[in-house]
Amino acid sequence: MRRTVLSALAIACTAVLASTVPAVADTSPTPVPATEAPSTAPTQAPSDAPTEAPTEGTEPTVAPSKAPDASEVSVVPSGAPDTGVASTDSDGGGALIGGGAAAAFATAGAAFYVVRRRRATGA
Amino acid sequence: MTPPSRRAFVTAATASLLVGCGGGSTPPSPEPSGSAPGESGESGRTVRALGRSVPVGLRIPAIRVDTRVMRLGLDPDGAMQVPPVEADDRAGWYRHSPTPGQVGPSVIVGHVTVGAYGDGVFRHLARLRRGDAIVARLENGTSARFAVSGVRTVAQADFPTEDVYGDVGRPELRLITCGGPRSGDGYRDSVIVFAALSAGSP
Repeated sequence: MRRTVLSALAIACTAVLASTVPAVADTSPTPVPATEAPSTAPTQAPSDAPTEAPTEGTEPTVAPSKAPDASEVSVVPSGAPDTGVASTDSDGGGALIGGGAAAAFATAGAAFYVVRRRRATGA
Repeated sequence: MTPPSRRAFVTAATASLLVGCGGGSTPPSPEPSGSAPGESGESGRTVRALGRSVPVGLRIPAIRVDTRVMRLGLDPDGAMQVPPVEADDRAGWYRHSPTPGQVGPSVIVGHVTVGAYGDGVFRHLARLRRGDAIVARLENGTSARFAVSGVRTVAQADFPTEDVYGDVGRPELRLITCGGPRSGDGYRDSVIVFAALSAGSP
């Protein structure tokens, strides 16, 4: 029993030593690249990204806060817009037409009177 | 430790490891709250406001109006400019108001009569009724369609400045012309059409 136990222990110890030797041998060259490469690259990259992202997120909150201050109509005019120029000329036009018609009627009447008088007087 | 207790221990250890790993996935829970800016659910409004684009034309089928639209500013005395009195009458957009479809009251004015030239482009504005369509053609090629929500005839001496130019918080339109009985070479009243955006077409 003891032999088997001792032999088993011996085998176990050699196995452990055999596995640790390459590990020890590896540790001497690896520390430099192994520690620098993974440690610096990942730690800086995530730290920059999150810090910039929130600053961008704050911009939209500023923009809406300014908008409500401005009125939708920036300059309000005074009074009502004067959008009706009454057609006063149309009255004058009507008077002209009426006057012209009256003059023509008077001329025609005078001509009729003259012609009739001439006929009556002897022609 | 009996075999069952060992199994229990192993099972408990595995479970705790799994739970610990699962706990790492809990951070996504902030995402829903982060997506709360999806308050853009406000876009669930019936009609979305349009971007800024100056109006170049106006069509009102109910009163057979189809006119170009010019830009108007302010006179030195602070009154709104109006389109020139000429045979080829047209409407004018007040450039200190939002463009049609933007949030706020966009203001367009036109003559009811243009002196010796006869009827103005807004001669029959007072005939509009609730629900009638008004379409503004915009400079960018799109159009903004409005539906009349009300028509008011008010004395020019009591012009409702706040109702016409005040903030409304949504895209609206105001059409203004003169009306009522003549007084001197002008008119006693103003006719104001109130309309709200019903659709924006590409």
